[in-house]
Amino acid sequence: MAEALKTFRPYVTWANARGGWPDIIFSTRVRFARNLEGFPFPNRAEPRQLGEIRRLALAAVKDTGLFSRGHFLKFEALSSLEKRFLVERHHVSHALAAAVLPAGAAVSNDEDLSAMVNEEDHLRLQCLSAGFSIEETLNAALKLDEALGRALPFAFSPRFGFLTACPTNAGTGMRVSCLVHLPALSRLGRMPQVLENLSHLSVTARGIYGEGTMVLGDFYQISNATCLGRSEEDFCQNIDRVIRNLIRQEIAAREELLKGPLKVKTEDAVYRALGLLKHARTLSYEEFMQNVSLARMGAAMGWNMGLDFSTFNQVTLLMQPAHIQAAAGRELNPAARDAFRAEFLRKKLA
Amino acid sequence: MLCEDCRSHNASVFLKVAVNNKVKELHLCTACAAKKGMGFGLETGAFNISDIVGNMSGYFKDFLPPEKKTLRCGGCGLKYSEFKESGRLGCPACYGSFEPQLAELMSRIHGAAQHAGRAYSGGPALKLSNAEIARRLEELRAALKQAVAKEDFEGAARLRDELKLLEGRHG
Repeated sequence: MAEALKTFRPYVTWANARGGWPDIIFSTRVRFARNLEGFPFPNRAEPRQLGEIRRLALAAVKDTGLFSRGHFLKFEALSSLEKRFLVERHHVSHALAAAVLPAGAAVSNDEDLSAMVNEEDHLRLQCLSAGFSIEETLNAALKLDEALGRALPFAFSPRFGFLTACPTNAGTGMRVSCLVHLPALSRLGRMPQVLENLSHLSVTARGIYGEGTMVLGDFYQISNATCLGRSEEDFCQNIDRVIRNLIRQEIAAREELLKGPLKVKTEDAVYRALGLLKHARTLSYEEFMQNVSLARMGAAMGWNMGLDFSTFNQVTLLMQPAHIQAAAGRELNPAARDAFRAEFLRKKLA
Repeated sequence: MLCEDCRSHNASVFLKVAVNNKVKELHLCTACAAKKGMGFGLETGAFNISDIVGNMSGYFKDFLPPEKKTLRCGGCGLKYSEFKESGRLGCPACYGSFEPQLAELMSRIHGAAQHAGRAYSGGPALKLSNAEIARRLEELRAALKQAVAKEDFEGAARLRDELKLLEGRHG
């Protein structure tokens, strides 16, 4: 079993339910893309340069003091299970996990801060917080960015801002996002229209693990689509407005699902989902996500699902494939994983 | 909502893809998604981002005006045409080398071509390893030799200054 996994926390604070609308907003994330002056971007750098960049970047991250007792990881030393675990924790991207180059990551002890090294850019700095907390998350991410900017020479031009491998990330280099749960809008078939509307507001919707990933369990990552030409605060305010609007729409959709003949249908779907989660003997991650989405919505409608939102969130993290194997303490094939997941969940819901 | 492919199962996989600059939405059931090779990266361990990168490069290719002659970055040697293919720049100096082209591209992507976020006044010089210094010295000496051979005295003077700086800092 992968040793590195044992050092990660069983629960992470950023997955706790917090603030207004904990039933809709899972977490908030701010990330900055940064590169070192004097080196090619990772796609054009030689492996030994990437090794040098990683050495310099991880040392500077350590020196900020924000990662004390944290994790400093070199990716060639990690198993694929460990990398998948880090992706599931939202600390690193699929692209970094798949990288064959000298790549690395640092994760703070609380697991709210992380830094990816040699993904598409030399550095991707990230702050994750519980609930709907854009301002606080931005400030924490800026603190990390500013500390590193004093220790390393970042590539910057007054015209194009912070310079990145892909021009879509240049400027502030910032992506601010909320992980939102929109089961009622999905159930009413409104999501295509909602996403279409978002695309006119300089906002992107992605799946639960970010770029290029599928939507699972009606969770969407909503983020700014552009990041140059306005201040960091302006981009954040735009996302804040969009998210508040989505919250209003989701609440209205939930009210619709409780009106007239729809109510018994909704109630039936929610309790069937809860029954499945409670009694299944084998449960795939995908089936879990579909059903937990309904149960989570049921809890938001005031029905007793036996779990509060913090537990819902933590369980949602724990049911992921690499997390299941970490809990089992060994690698499991998909069938064994599904059986373990069902049993693990039955105990949680008992 | 029903799967757009088989029309018999509920759609559980939602995908938004960019094809030829148009956003296409797909709602599929798991079986159809798997058939289309869009298995869940986490379950299969195989995650393919090439589609996304491929779509991105199409985006750049369609939008960018054709260049009149071969443009090349003075920093890393990346050709502008290579950038149009991959959608990825080679180094920070590319932004200076391709400034007019990138300004136009930035306006299209971001609706602006002037940074308005936080300013940055620069960080300290890096504590490079001896191997990296040796590599950079070698690169500069080769470039200096070429500049002298081409009688590019302005370029040679600039390179000589850079060499002195690097040797002085670490020598």
